Amino acid sequence: MVKQPITRREFIGASAAAGAGLLLTSCSQESNQPAAGGKTSALSKINIALIGCGAQGQVLLDSLQVIEGIRLVAVVDIWDYNRNSNVARLKKNGFEVKGYENYEDLLAHEKDLQAVVVATPDFWHAPITNACLKAGLHVYCEKMMSNTLDGARSMVKTMRETGKLLQIGHQRRSNPRYIFALNRLIKEAQMCGRLTAAQAQWNRAKTDDLGWPKKTELKPEQLAKYGFKDMHQFRNWRWFKGLGGGPLSDLGAHQIDIFNWWFGKTASSVVASAGADYYQNHDWYDNAMVIYEFSLTGADGKPYTARAFYQVQTTTSAGGGYFEQFMGDEGTIKMSENPSITKIYREDRAKSWDDLVAKNFLSASAVERPAGDADKVDVRETAPLLQYDIPVSFNKKIHQPHLENFFNAIRGTAKLNCPADEAFSSEYIIHKANESVASQKVIAMTKEETEA
Amino acid sequence: MSEPVIHVFNHNAMATQFQVRIADEEKTYAAQTAQAAFALTDQLESLLSRFRANSDITQIAQLVVGEKLRVSEPVFACLDLARKMEFATRGAFSVTAAALKTQPAKPLWALVQKEFSIRCDSGRLEFDLGAIGKGFALDRMAEVLREWSCPAFLLVAGGSSILAGDAPKETAGWSCGLGEDHSTHRYWLKNESLSGSGLAVKGKHILDPRTGQPARRQNRVWALADSAAESDALSTAAMVLTESEITDVVAKNKMWLVFLNEEKKWRQLGLRPLPPMV
Repeated sequence: MVKQPITRREFIGASAAAGAGLLLTSCSQESNQPAAGGKTSALSKINIALIGCGAQGQVLLDSLQVIEGIRLVAVVDIWDYNRNSNVARLKKNGFEVKGYENYEDLLAHEKDLQAVVVATPDFWHAPITNACLKAGLHVYCEKMMSNTLDGARSMVKTMRETGKLLQIGHQRRSNPRYIFALNRLIKEAQMCGRLTAAQAQWNRAKTDDLGWPKKTELKPEQLAKYGFKDMHQFRNWRWFKGLGGGPLSDLGAHQIDIFNWWFGKTASSVVASAGADYYQNHDWYDNAMVIYEFSLTGADGKPYTARAFYQVQTTTSAGGGYFEQFMGDEGTIKMSENPSITKIYREDRAKSWDDLVAKNFLSASAVERPAGDADKVDVRETAPLLQYDIPVSFNKKIHQPHLENFFNAIRGTAKLNCPADEAFSSEYIIHKANESVASQKVIAMTKEETEA
Repeated sequence: MSEPVIHVFNHNAMATQFQVRIADEEKTYAAQTAQAAFALTDQLESLLSRFRANSDITQIAQLVVGEKLRVSEPVFACLDLARKMEFATRGAFSVTAAALKTQPAKPLWALVQKEFSIRCDSGRLEFDLGAIGKGFALDRMAEVLREWSCPAFLLVAGGSSILAGDAPKETAGWSCGLGEDHSTHRYWLKNESLSGSGLAVKGKHILDPRTGQPARRQNRVWALADSAAESDALSTAAMVLTESEITDVVAKNKMWLVFLNEEKKWRQLGLRPLPPMV
């Protein structure tokens, strides 16, 4: 019988039967991060605020509005147009929220907050996160942690000093499909055999710079107060050095983090090439190609090197969307947040995957025909090529599980899936890729330097 | 009258092409405005599409009977409108019409306003917002264009639904034809929406939610209304209604008008005044 992906509906139904829920419950991510525990009971609402209501803030708001057990009490944005429209929209949707211009005002006025979600431009992440942690709040901060390594280090330091939780927004680390693929297929079943290479990409079409509605411009003194040269830079901060880290940090951060996570090691060297060749009014490059090396140990106990290639193109959407592909000598997993892009390939030399299908580690498009005797053959209809898939479906908004993991960690019922100290290693190798572009040299990285 | 300068921008979403036309505005600013409107379209698609694994609509389809799900504001608003249109058209429009292909009866559901949630009361909530979602998106895009101070616009979804904003300067409106390219049956539209439904492009794709069978009453209809969500849903409903049923439906709403074309003769049903002809 062909096994269908387990949907939420089926999972709820199946959970009633003893043992049927093992598949998904076994997907919980392991972490060394201690749970927050503390005063917040499992039943009480967690009061939170969102700091930064731009494009990424909107994505997080979509999830925050449907997560049970939290109360969104405030939104913060220096741009009154963004702030006021979000307050109005949230009130329309039943949320009694207040709006504040900056995080200082928020901290001064909201005394019953337990946590904040930070989605500001990167260069504000460290100061805001550090201040909120010191104010006794748990923090969910979008990646990149900071536009500088010093900023990122300071966040880890403050997290440790305050004992508060700091989750970094690498949301794939809480995605049930990613967790399942790593824990069951890569680690337990070793389905790929020896992992020899990885590649990932996020290519997107050329877009014009963002504008702003007339009469909503921030005043020059206000822009200067918050570190922006002008309104164009404010709206397009991702492209400017000193504010953001360019496309490798915007898009690549998510996927380069998967290299570290799935290889179970931090890259040992990086070489990269990139250029600001297309957009003449941007600081950061438009296209980048990066190669990392990972020092791994084979099943035979011998060390070997695997390489991972990453590309981000901001002038063409060609190339098959966004994905992370891990290639081994027995199989390959092409993962994506978009399930339609996910693919699993089996090398002919690999042993049969029937047992993995039987254990529901994989779903198969058809039953594999027995090999039969070598001296005989039966002729019939053309057999379809066997196709495999991950038998876990996931219907929530893609950021929702990562936010839920954060809130559950606050309640003491989970451990963070991406605490800041773990995220720092990915942060480090991304900054070093930018450094490699600038120096045009291969940069070696020791384990010690990649840890905060 | 001089010809107005109109900037045209295209974007693929919801399995069709969306178009923003902006008049009386500088080109770069118009492009940025269109970009903001298209960004909203993409966001709406991620919430409303039944083909997206993470959309609200996909999650709703997984609800078991008695279970509730808090949904995003646009999804709640769209479903609320869909429910009202289902009532107003006496069931001729329904977002659960396609569910009849896989279920013996239409599933039942309720919106819980104070929780902004939807409850599954029976069956499987297999919603298809194809006949209202694009119109709903046009209405929301229009809000963006007005926010950006670009009131003279024309929005088009897949060629079957349009929403006109203010008229371009020195014009009587946007010239909109009923039917094929360069139709001779044209009206000047402003601040209103026109949608068309028919069997020409996708064949017998419109199911009568009351029977579960493909529509057979009309071959082609157009609906005029204030909002694109309404005109979109109304034109779909009119496909499966008899002429007397359409007359009854539009009599209840003075802002609705339905156009029928049989044997090259045009007729209008409804009390809404006709816009000026081109």
